[in-house]
Amino acid sequence: MSMHWYVARRVAWAVVATYLILTITFGLLAVAPGDGQTAFAFEAATEGGDVDEARETFDEITGRDEPLLTRYTNYMVNMATLNWGWSFTRNQSVMDALAAAYPYSLMYAVPATFISIVFGYAIGLYSATHQYTLTDYLGTFTAFFGISVPNFWFGIMLILVFAVDLGWLPSYYQTGRGVWTLANAKQLVLPVVVLSTGAIAGNMRYSRAEALEYVHADFVKTARAKGADDWRVLVRHIFRPALVPLMTILVADILGLLFAGAYITEVVFQIPGLGLLSYKAIIQQDTALVMATTLVPVFIAIVGNLVQDIAYTVLDPRIDYGDR
Amino acid sequence: MTDPLLSIRELRVRFDTDEGVVQAVDGVSFDVERGETVCVVGESGSGKTVACESVTRLIPMPPGEIAGGEILFDGEDLTEASEKRLESIRGGRIAHVFQNPQSALNPVYPIGAQIVEAIRLHRDVSKQAARDRAIDLLDRVGIPEATARVDDYPHEFSGGMKQRVVIAMALAADPDLLVADEPTTALDVTIQAQILRLLRDLQAEFGMSIVFVTHDLGVVAEIADRVVVMYAGRVMETGSVHDVFDRPSHPYTKALLDCLPGQGQSMRPIGGTLPDLKQPPAGCRFHPRCPHATADCRTGTHPELLPVGSGHDAACVYYGPGYDSTVIRGESVSESRAADGGDAVADSDSDHDTTGGDC
Ligand code: SF4
Repeated sequence: MSMHWYVARRVAWAVVATYLILTITFGLLAVAPGDGQTAFAFEAATEGGDVDEARETFDEITGRDEPLLTRYTNYMVNMATLNWGWSFTRNQSVMDALAAAYPYSLMYAVPATFISIVFGYAIGLYSATHQYTLTDYLGTFTAFFGISVPNFWFGIMLILVFAVDLGWLPSYYQTGRGVWTLANAKQLVLPVVVLSTGAIAGNMRYSRAEALEYVHADFVKTARAKGADDWRVLVRHIFRPALVPLMTILVADILGLLFAGAYITEVVFQIPGLGLLSYKAIIQQDTALVMATTLVPVFIAIVGNLVQDIAYTVLDPRIDYGDR
Repeated sequence: MTDPLLSIRELRVRFDTDEGVVQAVDGVSFDVERGETVCVVGESGSGKTVACESVTRLIPMPPGEIAGGEILFDGEDLTEASEKRLESIRGGRIAHVFQNPQSALNPVYPIGAQIVEAIRLHRDVSKQAARDRAIDLLDRVGIPEATARVDDYPHEFSGGMKQRVVIAMALAADPDLLVADEPTTALDVTIQAQILRLLRDLQAEFGMSIVFVTHDLGVVAEIADRVVVMYAGRVMETGSVHDVFDRPSHPYTKALLDCLPGQGQSMRPIGGTLPDLKQPPAGCRFHPRCPHATADCRTGTHPELLPVGSGHDAACVYYGPGYDSTVIRGESVSESRAADGGDAVADSDSDHDTTGGDC
C-alpha cells in the first residue's frame, strides 16, 4: 500500500473519530438530567428572578424544546461552525472564553514543554551513553524524584520557599501584565518549573531506555568503525533511530503537558488558562463550557495521533502500510 | 623486508565485569604484512574478536581496558593515540566489517547515505562526488543496478546484499587494512563463497591487507595467507596457511583440524569447554582439554611461542628442551589419545556427540 493511501486513511479515521465523539457527547447530554438547567435556574433565583421563567429561557437558548433530530442537526452544525454555545457563568460565548484562556495556558506550557524535551532528552541520552557512571546514577535518581513528587505538593512547596519565605517570586499569577514583561516572566517561573520537573523526568527515562536499545547496536559500532565522532554517533546513529519509538511518547507528552498536568498547576498558581477555566466551569455546572474545555483536549489528541502516524512515515522507512 | 603494516605486541585487554576481571586477551602478538590476509582463528570466547577490535579501540571502554602491549600500525602505536587520531584512522585507514549484516546498517538511512557518510568523514569531497563514488563502490561489490538502488533502505536488501553494502562502506576511504570479523558466518553457504571471492578480488584490486576473524577452518583454507590460532586469550600457533594445515604443531590446532570434514578422519569434537578467563588455569591454558598434557603443562605460566619451522611458531612445552616434539607432530591426536590410555581426556566417550564440542 502506498504512503498516500495510508495517510488518506489516517485522515479519514480522524474525521470519523471526531464525528463519533461529538455524537456520543450529544447523546450523553440529551439523556443527562438538568444539563445545567438547574444551575441556570438557581443562578436566576439567587439574583431574584423567576425560576420557571429562567428554565424556559434556558431551554430556549439551548434549544431543548426542539425534537431530538433537529437538536442533533443544530448541535452538529454549531459544532462544525465553531458556535459552541454560551457560558452563562461568564456571560460570554464559549469560544470567547476559550480564546481568552488559551494564551495564559500557552505562556507557561510552551516553555515547559520545550524545556522538558530538551533537558529530558539530553540527560537521557547522556545517561544512556554513560551507563553505570556516577552521572548516570545521579540522572536516574533525579528522574525518580521528578516522577514521584506530586505537582500540587511541589507547587505549594515552591510557593512557600520562593514566594513566601524568600520573596523572590510572586506567589500567584496576576493578569494585566504585558506578555513580554519581566514581571510576567517572573510569575511564570514557578509554574514552568513545576510542570517541567515531572516532564523532564519522564522524557529522561524514556529517552534513556530507548537510546540504550541502540547504544550497543551493531550499526552504532559500524558508525564508530567508520570514524564518526561521539557526537555524530549519538545524534545520527543513536538518537535518530530512537526517535521512532520516542515519537509516541513525545506526542502524548506534549498533549498531557498541555491539558492534564496543567490543570493542577493552574489551580495552584491561579493562572486563568484552560485548566482553571474548566475547573471553574465544572464547579459551577456551566455545561457548555465544561463540554468545550473537555472536547478541545480530545480534538487535540486526535490531531496529535494523526500527526504522530504521519511522522512515522517520515521517520521509519521500515513502516509497513498494509499492517496499519 | 619492510616493516609490517600492523604489528600487535604482547597485547593485553581486560574487561572489568561485575563477576570479576576477565583477561580476554593476555599477551597476544602477531604481524600483518602489507597486502596479505591473516586469519585469526579460534572458538568463540578465544579473544580473537576483542584482540582485533582493540586495534582501533572499538571495544566498549569501560568496561574494556587495554592493559598492556603495543599496537603498531604503520609504525604508530595506536594504544597511545588520541581519540581524535583514532577517529581519522577508523574507516580511513583501518576499516571493519562485522558479523551480522542484518544489524550492521542503520535502519533509518538509505544505504547510499551511509556510504556517503563514510566517504565524507575521510575525504573532503562534495556530496555529489561522494554519491558518485558510493554508486561506483556498490557496483564494484556486486550490487545490481547500483544507481537505482543507492537510495534504498537496508531492509530492502537480502543478508548477502547487505554484507556487500557493508563491504562497500568499508572500502569508502580506500583503507590499508580491512578487519573482517566473521563476515560470512551469518550467511548461507553459497552466499558465503561469493562474499569470500569478493573479498579476495577486492584485495587483489585495492591491495589492502585483511585480518579475517573466523572460527571456520574451511574459510581459512579459502582465504588465508597466514593463520593465527587463538585459544583463551593467547596465541597457540601461528604460521603460513600451508604450514598450519599440513604440519599442525600445536595440539589445539590439531584438534581443530580433526574437526574438519574431509581431513581423513571423522568429525571429532574437542572435549571440554573454554576455561573461565576470570581464573585461567595455571600453566598451559589448554591443558584441561589437551591429550598430551604433562605435569609441566599444569603449573607455572603459559608456554611461550617457540619456533617450529621458518615463520611457524607454536606455544607448547613439547618444543622446549627435554621433550620429543614428534609426539605431537608425528601422529594424530586420536592415536596418541588411544596410546595414552585416555587419562588426560575428558571426552573419550563423546566421539560421536558432536553437540558436546565446538567444532
Ligand atoms: S603445553 Fe602441554 S597442555 Fe599445552 S598444548 Fe602443549 S602438551 Fe598440551
